[in-house]
Amino acid sequence: MLETRPAPVQPDSFAAAAARLKARRRQRRRLTDLLAYTVLIAIALIMLYPFYWTLITSLEPTGNIYEAKIVPQAVGLRNYAEMWKGTTVPFWRLILNSLIICTLGVSLTVTLATLAAYPLAKMRFPGRDLIFYAILALMVLPNESGLIVNYITTIKLGLLQQTNPVIDAVRQYLAVVLPGLASIVGLFLLRQAYLGIPQELIEAARIDGAPELTIWRRIMLPLATPTIAAFAILEFVAYWNSFLWARIMLPDKNLLPLSAGLLELSGTFSTNSRAVMAGAVITIIPILIVFAFGQKYFMKGLEGAVKG
Amino acid sequence: MTTPSRRLSRREQHRAGGTGAKVTARNTLIAYAFLLPFLTLLVVYHTWPVIFGTYLAFTKYNIISPPQWVGLDNFRELLRDEQFWSGLKNSLKYILVVPVIQVVAILVALLVNRPMRGIGFFRTAFYVPVVTSFAVVGLIWNWMYQQEGPVNAVLGFLGLHRGGSFLNNPATALYAVMFVTLWKGIGYYMVLYLAGLQSISPELEEAATIDGAGRTQVFWNITLPGLRPTILVCSLLSTISAIKVFEEIYVMTQGGPAGSTYTALFYTYSRAFQDFQYGLAAAGGIIIAVISILFGLINFRLTRGGRADA
Repeated sequence: MLETRPAPVQPDSFAAAAARLKARRRQRRRLTDLLAYTVLIAIALIMLYPFYWTLITSLEPTGNIYEAKIVPQAVGLRNYAEMWKGTTVPFWRLILNSLIICTLGVSLTVTLATLAAYPLAKMRFPGRDLIFYAILALMVLPNESGLIVNYITTIKLGLLQQTNPVIDAVRQYLAVVLPGLASIVGLFLLRQAYLGIPQELIEAARIDGAPELTIWRRIMLPLATPTIAAFAILEFVAYWNSFLWARIMLPDKNLLPLSAGLLELSGTFSTNSRAVMAGAVITIIPILIVFAFGQKYFMKGLEGAVKG
Repeated sequence: MTTPSRRLSRREQHRAGGTGAKVTARNTLIAYAFLLPFLTLLVVYHTWPVIFGTYLAFTKYNIISPPQWVGLDNFRELLRDEQFWSGLKNSLKYILVVPVIQVVAILVALLVNRPMRGIGFFRTAFYVPVVTSFAVVGLIWNWMYQQEGPVNAVLGFLGLHRGGSFLNNPATALYAVMFVTLWKGIGYYMVLYLAGLQSISPELEEAATIDGAGRTQVFWNITLPGLRPTILVCSLLSTISAIKVFEEIYVMTQGGPAGSTYTALFYTYSRAFQDFQYGLAAAGGIIIAVISILFGLINFRLTRGGRADA
């Protein structure tokens, strides 16, 4: 420990030595910083260049398409116009589908998790711990056949029947979101957030005769807002990016979400990859915006999700 | 099931926050009403697939006619099926990604954990691939890997051997897809390791430095052991997702060329959704599950092995 060291005998020479040491350390630090920046920039280039390349190539009307480049040879929106018109499926329709699926998915997932976490965190009832640990166990149970069985379930529930265009659309949107609505991760995140809310607050409300639903809405939801926001952002990204389930099971290609539709279009647009690149750029933009705004929430949510 | 009138133990009462609303039939009903929508969907879309999927593995089923019990026939057929074996082999090969991604993610996390100007930009930049859909990522890398594409251009610039179109070559396709998994996943693990690093007390590292430990000594003796719980979680997660790799394959290669990227889960997918052999696919799913649990256990032992940490 520092206090046990003998006091300096010759302050001047010590000060000089300290200054030298400090200077050397600063120099070394500058060198390592420089090295660190070099490595970081190299990694950032690897991470970001593919996106940048896709963006500039999508802006070029013609030219050697797959060539590596730093600036576009020419800039135009022709590919975006072509993408917008679409061929088999209109692009605006895909965007609309994604918006509907995200709105439905995020609002229902968040509602279900915020509701279910409440009794698990703040109420006493028989079977509570049993349910909690059963849900926990479900997280580690192998579910390799999930895609297959959920597909069978969706068919058996009649969600893929085709009778009337409007009802079909509603049913198929539901078919897309239903399997993901019960989010175990979300349940844990919210239970954790609720546990941090003082029990006295809830007891006081109960003594005043407030119904549990009111307590949930007036006390739990407002106080858990940061967690709810983080979870909602996580879910938005997940729904916006999901494509596999919809692409495998949706009979009507007009109802595909954007990322799934993009794959569909990349097949039909095989002669014009630039148009598909334009579509890819449009698909990424909303995620980047949400991510930029909610970054802090996002990282917090992610850490919380893994720590459970 | 416990009876509704059962009194909760003192421990349970304590965990529920002590005094307050009594366990009455009415309260129990309300609690279950809160849980009902969530639990219903959980049972239908999470529990039922585990149960019905296991049952299906022992049947022949094509959706149209009811499942027909065939015992272990599906498993016998799988073990005879060369395609399934080569799928398994590719899935196991995919585990090669795990050590690489973990080491790189730890190094990147150490780098972005330094208090430097603009470090926030780098953290964000490394995370962008994580929040991008596999559909988009797969398409982008399909273009990047073209014969005339940027990857070959960079390799040529560095004076390395230029490949052809990476995804069309059976010798390179799997590794090319593995690189995309690595590229997309680094940011994810970086964030987890950052959280791990920040939970290591700086006093410990300072004390070691004062005691004359060099930077590498501090890393090996303080930082790395402190990260051990994070390493355990991360390598477990990435091993399991490596064995179950699917989306990359689905978007980029569809198992080709010449079956070189055909993985175990892709096998079950094509049995189910291309050949309508749902029973066979479910049996494949069970084998994959068993293997991933085994690897999870091995991983657990490896990361817990050696000296016990605090």
